[in-house]
Amino acid sequence: MEKVILIKYGELSTKKDNINFFLKKLKENILFVLDDLSVDIDYDLGRMFIHTKDNFDMVADRLKKVFGIHEINIGYIIESIDLEIIKDEVLNLLKEKEFKTFKVESKRSNKKLNTTSLLLSKNLGAYILKNIKGLKVDVKNPEVLLNVEYRIHNTLVYFDKIKGLGGYPVGTLGKGLLMLSGGIDSPVAGYLAMKRGVKIEAIYFESPPHTSVEAKNKVISLTKKLAQYNCNINLHIINFTEIQEAIYKNIPHDYLITIMRRMMYRISAIIANKRNAKILINGESIGQVASQTLTSMSAINEVVSIPVIRPLACFDKLDIIKIAKGINTYETSILPFEDCCTIFVPKHPVINPLKEKCSEYENLIPYKDLIYKAIKTHEVLNVKVKEESEFKDLL
Amino acid sequence: MIYLDYSATTPVGFEVLDTYNKTSKDFFGNPNSLHELGVKSKSLMNSATKQIAEILNINETEITYTSGATMANNMALIGLAMHNYKRGKHIIVSKLEHPSIYVICDYLESLGYEISYVNNDDEGLIDFEDLKKLIREDTILVSICAVNSELGIRQPLKMIRQIIKKENPNTVLHSDMTQAVGKVSISMHDVDLATFTAHKIYGPKGIGLLYKNNNIELTPILYGSGKTNMLNPGTPALPLIVAFSKALRLATTDIEKRERFIERLNLKIVDALKKYNGVMINKTKYSIPHILNISLRNIKAETFLHALEEFEIYVSSNTACSSATLSSSVMAVYDDKVRASSTLRISLSHLTTTDEINKFIMYFNEIYRKLSGLHN
Repeated sequence: MEKVILIKYGELSTKKDNINFFLKKLKENILFVLDDLSVDIDYDLGRMFIHTKDNFDMVADRLKKVFGIHEINIGYIIESIDLEIIKDEVLNLLKEKEFKTFKVESKRSNKKLNTTSLLLSKNLGAYILKNIKGLKVDVKNPEVLLNVEYRIHNTLVYFDKIKGLGGYPVGTLGKGLLMLSGGIDSPVAGYLAMKRGVKIEAIYFESPPHTSVEAKNKVISLTKKLAQYNCNINLHIINFTEIQEAIYKNIPHDYLITIMRRMMYRISAIIANKRNAKILINGESIGQVASQTLTSMSAINEVVSIPVIRPLACFDKLDIIKIAKGINTYETSILPFEDCCTIFVPKHPVINPLKEKCSEYENLIPYKDLIYKAIKTHEVLNVKVKEESEFKDLL
Repeated sequence: MIYLDYSATTPVGFEVLDTYNKTSKDFFGNPNSLHELGVKSKSLMNSATKQIAEILNINETEITYTSGATMANNMALIGLAMHNYKRGKHIIVSKLEHPSIYVICDYLESLGYEISYVNNDDEGLIDFEDLKKLIREDTILVSICAVNSELGIRQPLKMIRQIIKKENPNTVLHSDMTQAVGKVSISMHDVDLATFTAHKIYGPKGIGLLYKNNNIELTPILYGSGKTNMLNPGTPALPLIVAFSKALRLATTDIEKRERFIERLNLKIVDALKKYNGVMINKTKYSIPHILNISLRNIKAETFLHALEEFEIYVSSNTACSSATLSSSVMAVYDDKVRASSTLRISLSHLTTTDEINKFIMYFNEIYRKLSGLHN
């Protein structure tokens, strides 16, 4: 009998022909979060097994940050399908525990066993009651829930069920470019896209000296938080100062935000294309601000042909905050530094911008040249989850 | 010099002091400033905090720096009491706490809070049944130290937490971990609030921290400006913080190996001292080896302490302040006034050498013969 960590796949198990591709990616992503530990991973179509000599709780903790996992169990493999051997091994496991009530749940993927799951549970339960004194069965609220899975070549036993994140393994559905602002919404949008298997790169617009190094550091630290789910992230940093100042000087102020967003979309689409990203992802939520009315979104979206996925389009702010707190980005997001979208804010931004007006105004500035320049000089940071601290000597 | 008072304080580590000096010199910018120097300092502070968070396996936002353990204990106990006064005014503490906890409790009592003292068994372990009985609907806080400072008794916080939460899920568990960190393994999952200080782990004096689980709220007892922390506003003591982070990293590596070595030294002393009629070894099966407490029959501990001092050997007597008081921890465990009236604490470190222990045993013998002769 070997102690192992068992992984149940989520929606993955509905994939047919390409399931092996999904599982291979899942294994890769798991190895990434466990890279400093010595582990062996093998899998079949029903389960992934993690063999390790390290602390099981710690390994399970880290697996809670991997998409594509439905459930994590710290359990045991009994290399036998003989019911008598299984009974004895289960008894050995239970003898180490202190409890008064229990329940047995059985699963039977070995259909050759000429019985039902219910009967298997009953038989094993009776055997336990007979051999350990003072126990009771409690089907509603047992202290120990004993799960036994009768498989074709072996048997799995586990007690606790730890919920995984669900979704698809990151990278199984291609790549997207996340427009990351530093606010509450965009990191959450990135998280949700990753949950559906999209590997992300991120793009951030800075306007020094109007925006500070701290604002940039904030975005880097948000990226680092997202990188835990994504196996590192490329962060594209665009110097937006010249474009933003040109807009401010030459374009009627009610259209400032609309035009600025159109420029950001154009630049993002070009970077996405260069990086082979198939979609843009952002944190827009219908009606949240002037630039997120349907008319605004449509006027802004028309400048690109790449699909723009807005995972938060129909979320309430409070629900977004809840996720942000859950993934630990909230505290960073609310740090009060000016970003591109909060400087040069007009008093009365247009709520229903006209597309014709947008292109007319844009032609007042040499935006194509400015965009070309911004992209040519842009900075790329490979943000790693674990980075050697620059203060290593001091710490 | 033979220093055997590591539980009172420790000498600052060479590398730790080096970090303190470099940080003071190269990172003098205020972490609250917006310019580059401030941002650099802030960034260093974040890295130091991140390292501490990783070592303790907690979130960075759960750390509040303090001036030391006393301040952290104040913030925790008073802050929690103030925040929850509408819900309840009942607090439970053990009989094995550091005096600073009792002084805070006296203050809270004067404000109308009710303090209960939970019993322990004759091995020093918290009496679980008594704890269960004491917890009420209005019990807002239980404070139990992870390792007692006089006898080194270690409490099973995980089980204590389970008992508390089963009786009243709203009751918060605070633990003063000052004597535990760097000596034994600790887990923040076992508690809601915890107190640490740097100077017991070869760090500088004047810096400690309060761990506060993000789900717990405290009323601040200090008010001021500065955005780094709500509970302790003002300019962060960056050199102390970075040095603390380094000290914690150094102190938490090789804990088990160090413990095994210290255990050997401890047994050596016990072996030598148990043959004296007038010496009682105050050690239970829950005592950690780093702290060894003995009682002297017919000899005043303070006299003995000064006699050792003449040979440049430094230990503690039951209380640093007053020889008239009994050792509360020894009373709590042995319930014996004679035993509690004259105690010496010998506290060991991985820096202690076998040679030092041999010398200590030799001089102990010499002084013992001289002083016990006076009473015969």
